[in-house]
Amino acid sequence: MKKSKVISAKEAVSGFISDGMTVGIGGFFHSPSYSITHEIIRQKKAHLTICQPSFNEHADQMIGAGCVDRIISSYVWMEVFGPLYCFRRAMEKEIPHKIEMEDYTNFAVMARYLAGSLGVPYIPINSMKGSDMMKYRAWLGEKKAIQMKDPFGSGQEHVLVPALKPDVGYFHCQRADEEGNSQMWGIWGDMPWSMRACKEVIVSCEEIITREQIGRDPNRTIVPGYKVVAVVHAPFGAHPKHCQGYYDVDRDFIFKYIRESATEDGWKRYMDEWVYGVADRDEYLKNYVDTFGMKKFLGLKAKDMMSTSVNYGF
Amino acid sequence: MRSDYTKFTMEEMMAVAAAREIEDGEKVIIGTGLPLLGAFLAQKTHAPNMIAIYESGGIDCKPIATPLSVADSVLVPGSAMQGGLMEGLGIVHAGELDLGFLGGAQIDKYGNLNTHVIGDYRKPKVRFAGSGGANDIGTGCKRTIVMMLHQKQRFPEKVDFVSTPGYFGGGKEREKYGFYGNGPSVVISTLGILRFDPETKEMYLASYHPGATVAQVKENTGWDLKVASDVYETERPAPELIRILREECDPTGLFLKKQ
Repeated sequence: MKKSKVISAKEAVSGFISDGMTVGIGGFFHSPSYSITHEIIRQKKAHLTICQPSFNEHADQMIGAGCVDRIISSYVWMEVFGPLYCFRRAMEKEIPHKIEMEDYTNFAVMARYLAGSLGVPYIPINSMKGSDMMKYRAWLGEKKAIQMKDPFGSGQEHVLVPALKPDVGYFHCQRADEEGNSQMWGIWGDMPWSMRACKEVIVSCEEIITREQIGRDPNRTIVPGYKVVAVVHAPFGAHPKHCQGYYDVDRDFIFKYIRESATEDGWKRYMDEWVYGVADRDEYLKNYVDTFGMKKFLGLKAKDMMSTSVNYGF
Repeated sequence: MRSDYTKFTMEEMMAVAAAREIEDGEKVIIGTGLPLLGAFLAQKTHAPNMIAIYESGGIDCKPIATPLSVADSVLVPGSAMQGGLMEGLGIVHAGELDLGFLGGAQIDKYGNLNTHVIGDYRKPKVRFAGSGGANDIGTGCKRTIVMMLHQKQRFPEKVDFVSTPGYFGGGKEREKYGFYGNGPSVVISTLGILRFDPETKEMYLASYHPGATVAQVKENTGWDLKVASDVYETERPAPELIRILREECDPTGLFLKKQ
């Protein structure tokens, strides 16, 4: 067997994420890695450029904590749950400091990842044309996006977006083996393109399984182990978001965050309790059960809806 | 109130109006809230062959409970295909979908939408979410339905930021961009239904909802809104539609608050 890459979230973040890096964060509402995000905040990483097609509260917490200088995204909000106040305070009032955002569309960020994952310098898209996202640019300036006539003669103009290749990426999935072969089902979000575009990948997962189990269902593997530098075992690692087949979204807890983060003081209190005040994910979960009770915690667990298996025989 | 299906709220009126815009067999990308309920209602009534698609990569989703998010776990079991953003938005980008739903902080006279900022982009008074998939949907889907809270500041003559283009400055201006999508076909607001003049592409009032008046709609619009010569009261929802909406589309009152 190859060397195990299983380490703690603490070791993964201190070992592979440095100040000033461009970091690709995986997930689309479903299954973001809170175990890694909270560790980044606890280790006070700074001057990060964070990338994700659509961001939710995990980005808001990193912004409020001062970890972020730049954002490459299309969206920072939590749908019908409500606004993200740290993001708003940063953009409107430069609290805790000024941040910049390169505004794209959801698909445009995916296209940038696709180009990055394929090793081509840019990719043409149909979106963004004529919008003010083409007019306003942050640090990338002209290199944010370029409109160009199709050289193959369709007569149409397209928007070219540059390849995005983060220094490091991290995501959360259902299961991985010790080499980092990672399997994910349900809503893939920006995977696999986001993680394929990253130079190195950290995966956190609900379960660690064997290489033999991976090989029994290889079509479900979303990132191959060779891209992965660290595997973190993190049950409930996406809470308060959901992880298909493991637990559902914790709506009350998300509403609680949005409500409390409306003021700076409220946000600090929340973070002191749920991020800074706990050493790791185990303490976080213990605090959750102590605060809300085991019944509420177990109520998040997914019910069984098993798939039928297929024959991989030859 | 909830068991009296002859009475309805403005949200319910809007969901019914959205359902009426969907034709059977259409491929529709669905958001959350009222568009979701409108699409569910259409599927349970006149459009059983509608294909419900979500940005998060679900195709032909048939959720057994009401999803609160476009990436809710409940969307996954029972769907015909589940992928990610590349699958959900790739087909939008390729121009394969008939219809998408949009909303925003502002919409202007020519249907341009703003989901970015109020005020100056570089020093915003209020910063909103950004485009998300809205610009992809607005440029890629054959037509779009916009759902809006009808207030004067949300209907300015010109938006502060064009996140998702409608008809730009009107007339044939949109055509020169060569989008797959033809632009917004209707705006369903809390006060009425607005459409776009086929030539000038200027928004006009087609009908006002029960309880609203033409004067009220004009007062709450930031420019001199044109009114159709045959303007009428939006057809009231049949009690059976309200029943399906409450009891089948949103039985737990996730979006339609229980009265």
